[in-house]
Amino acid sequence: MKGNLFALARYTLLRAVMLGFAVVVALYLVVLIVNMGGHLDKVRRGEIRQAVAAAVTMIPENQLLPPSELNQMIERQTELQYRYYGLDQPFIWRSFRYLITALSLSLGRSENLTSDSGSRQVRNIILERLPSTLVLFGTSSLILFFTSLFAALALSRRYGSWADRLVVALAPTSSAPGWFYGIFLILIFAAVLRVLPWGGMVEAPPPKTTLGYALSLVRHMILPVAAMAAGGLLASIYARRTFFLIFSSEDYVDLAKAKGLSSRAIERRYILRPTLPTIITQFMFLIIGMWQGAVILEQVFVWPGIGSLTISAVNLSDTPMILGVNVIYAYLLALSLFILEFVYAIIDPRVRVGAGPQRRL
Amino acid sequence: MGEGNLLRVKNLTLHFRTTRGVLQAVDSVSFAMDRRRSITIIGESGCGKTSLARALLRLLPRNVHSYTGEVYLDGTDVMRMSDEWFRQNVRWTKVSMVSQAAMNALNPVLKVGDQVAEPLRVHRRMSKDEALARAREVFRIVGVPDDFLHRYAFELSGGMRQRAILAMALVTSPQLILLDEPTSALDMLTQANIFNALKDIKNQLEVGFILITHDISTSSDLADEVLVMYAGQLVEHSLSTTGYTKPLHPYAHGLMSSVPTLREDKKLEFIPGQPPSLINPPTGCRFAARCPRRFDRCDQEPPTFTVGAYGEQVKCWLHAKG
Repeated sequence: MKGNLFALARYTLLRAVMLGFAVVVALYLVVLIVNMGGHLDKVRRGEIRQAVAAAVTMIPENQLLPPSELNQMIERQTELQYRYYGLDQPFIWRSFRYLITALSLSLGRSENLTSDSGSRQVRNIILERLPSTLVLFGTSSLILFFTSLFAALALSRRYGSWADRLVVALAPTSSAPGWFYGIFLILIFAAVLRVLPWGGMVEAPPPKTTLGYALSLVRHMILPVAAMAAGGLLASIYARRTFFLIFSSEDYVDLAKAKGLSSRAIERRYILRPTLPTIITQFMFLIIGMWQGAVILEQVFVWPGIGSLTISAVNLSDTPMILGVNVIYAYLLALSLFILEFVYAIIDPRVRVGAGPQRRL
Repeated sequence: MGEGNLLRVKNLTLHFRTTRGVLQAVDSVSFAMDRRRSITIIGESGCGKTSLARALLRLLPRNVHSYTGEVYLDGTDVMRMSDEWFRQNVRWTKVSMVSQAAMNALNPVLKVGDQVAEPLRVHRRMSKDEALARAREVFRIVGVPDDFLHRYAFELSGGMRQRAILAMALVTSPQLILLDEPTSALDMLTQANIFNALKDIKNQLEVGFILITHDISTSSDLADEVLVMYAGQLVEHSLSTTGYTKPLHPYAHGLMSSVPTLREDKKLEFIPGQPPSLINPPTGCRFAARCPRRFDRCDQEPPTFTVGAYGEQVKCWLHAKG
């Protein structure tokens, strides 16, 4: 027993160290990529020099100075700016600074973006955008996940029925992304029928009462959620149905039927239960995935979420901002992988016994 | 073979739809069996043995073309009953099954004991403790240690799994157990052990067996009666005392001659050719093409003749009276 506990502790620690290492490597790669391997520094230096030169020459008194002195002044100001942004240090050194700021979750200051409340802290900007992303993608992901799960289970039990054939036939419509359907939905329901808003999260000005605010939010969420459903639901039902179909042809499902169990009991104990590890994994990734939002969909629906924040950050080459979004995702991913190891052990006896130092027989 | 039969099957037919046509897996099979008897169904692979067993428990695949006939179980024609009635009153209450691929027949994530006790919880509405106590009893009957109740399938050897499934089949004290090649995936010693367990069960409990196998020599030990199937049809039904040594149908004769025996020195024979396709099978006797004793009448399909002192049945013109 004691040996078992020790083995478990050692295994846990080893997994944590390996996941931590993976996070560090992944984030350093992100640092290198968003800085274009250091090339971005050159671009940024040039931009700063240009901006400083423009600013300095704009001031009327400076225009009277001799060119050499003017150049010196520009040089001095540029150096100050370089130091402010840390550009006076070599890139390799800065890359590790980026990494450490990211890993310590202090996230640092954005270079170009500000929050609505005026903060330049990456953390504040992300926290400001997060609720709107979570409310939209949380709602739609959960609806889509559970709808597709239970629809797929039902269809797999009615293989070959007209409903099943319909889903199989229509599944390819999901190959177009959600935002594509979003454009058409906006055209139909906002432009032609004028029953639903064009985009945004709430009416302007926002309703004063909580109820009014909530209703307005729901009205604004209908189209984006419908767009995501159009772009993903059928394909996901189709994929899961096939998955359940494979698992319902197992011999133990057959025997369960012979045993006279009801359909519901068979579905619950003999199909869902053995496939639970896979379903939980998918669910976990969905939960952390909704954090990132969707870049184009948010643009189409003018949704003030993380997705549109990411795209502005990419456009402005705002390294701290891009890193900030990625580091949180990396941590969530590593954490959920770590948690999943234990969840598997709880729900799947094969993992539980196999993880120990010796299998008992 | 009177009216008090446990099971009486009349013209049971199970045809499947395939892309190439209708496959006659079970074609108008009729037989009867008394209580506490054990009968064995033998025949080559693909002759419809397994389909027959599954038809008896209404475990049908999705591509059923026709499923007709009468199956009297304890005097009730269960073919007329609804699926829900069938589930509650036949499956595992009167008839249970030990399936072909027993290695994978246990749910990997539920404890073996819970799976064995499950039919009692469903059909008898027993509490968990009562059901587990009963599961413990049947574990003893089939020779599985008690503590295996709390293990998972992957912790059991193949033989133990098969015994656990046998225990599951016994747990509700059904009147009939269908054994579909219960030992085909096991080694010789384990096979012998399982068959010994089956013999003990047969002597101790009020239960009938239908044993489906292509292992003719081991089945002869357990069986009271022998059914021989060929190409979806029942061609012979006789007592095991004569069925193995003096079979009536030429196909049964060929089948028995192909089996080595321990005590006598005999020349092994084989049946040339292959069984016909079950899609558009030949008219007339289906065995005619391979039959050494074929004659003119074989172009027409033979009826089933009742011959012999015990009412043995054979579907062959050679046994036509007059």
